[in-house]
Amino acid sequence: MAVGEEKAKNRRGVRAWLNPYHYNAERWAYLFQRVTGLAILAYVLGHLGDTSFFVGGPTGTGPSPSAWSFIGSIFENSFGHLILILVVLVLFFHGVNGVRLVLAELGLIFRKPSAIEYPYRPRGLGYGQRAMIYVGIAIAVAAAVWAFLVLFEGMG
Amino acid sequence: MKESRLMLIQYATAVAAVALVSVHLVMQGVIYPYATAISFSNILSVYRNGFYAIFLEALLVVVLVHGFNGVRIILQELRQTRSWTRLVDAGTVVAIIVTVAYGTRTVILAVFGGVSV
Repeated sequence: MAVGEEKAKNRRGVRAWLNPYHYNAERWAYLFQRVTGLAILAYVLGHLGDTSFFVGGPTGTGPSPSAWSFIGSIFENSFGHLILILVVLVLFFHGVNGVRLVLAELGLIFRKPSAIEYPYRPRGLGYGQRAMIYVGIAIAVAAAVWAFLVLFEGMG
Repeated sequence: MKESRLMLIQYATAVAAVALVSVHLVMQGVIYPYATAISFSNILSVYRNGFYAIFLEALLVVVLVHGFNGVRIILQELRQTRSWTRLVDAGTVVAIIVTVAYGTRTVILAVFGGVSV
């Protein structure tokens, strides 16, 4: 492979994330970890903004019931609650999958490496990792249902 | 700072964030009904409980360091030139300082500010 060609191949950037060809569950989890991370950061920045209205917003000087009531009138509705449920969904997936990544980084959930044979599945990943991905999805869905019950049914 | 140390910070803040966010969610939807949790009087009493104000500040710092360091890691993977690395590192530090400062301002004003009408 020519140097320029190799360099071009390594510069696919975000486009490489979006090519699902030959993706396995771990690769999908990698993609979703990043996408959910960016989504959560966007929410956190918005949350920093809306909670600042508790003290009157960017120019406030102390706790302000009127400013808090104003921001509540914008976000405390069905659409706002739907966003919160989505945030809970991605937050729990990101959290559980993040724990999997930390355990993988520490080498705790890898199997011993062995000779690669047909059909060339990555043997070192083991069943623990894949199980954690599915557990993460299950916990995220359960948390989203819980959030729905809290926000729409008044549970809690 | 060495990249290995920055990754260690990423993992440490990840573990801390899982614990802190879990407590935060339990406070918002389990201990109190949601409508009570977001009421002005409840939030004021929570902020003015010294322990929880420190908890919120810790949550703020941990989540923002983890979030912006995560964005830094993604951006560093896209290009590896020296100028890009410096730009992204500097941008990350500025973003963390600005957002933590803004969030800390909210916590300080909520704890010590006078309640307006």
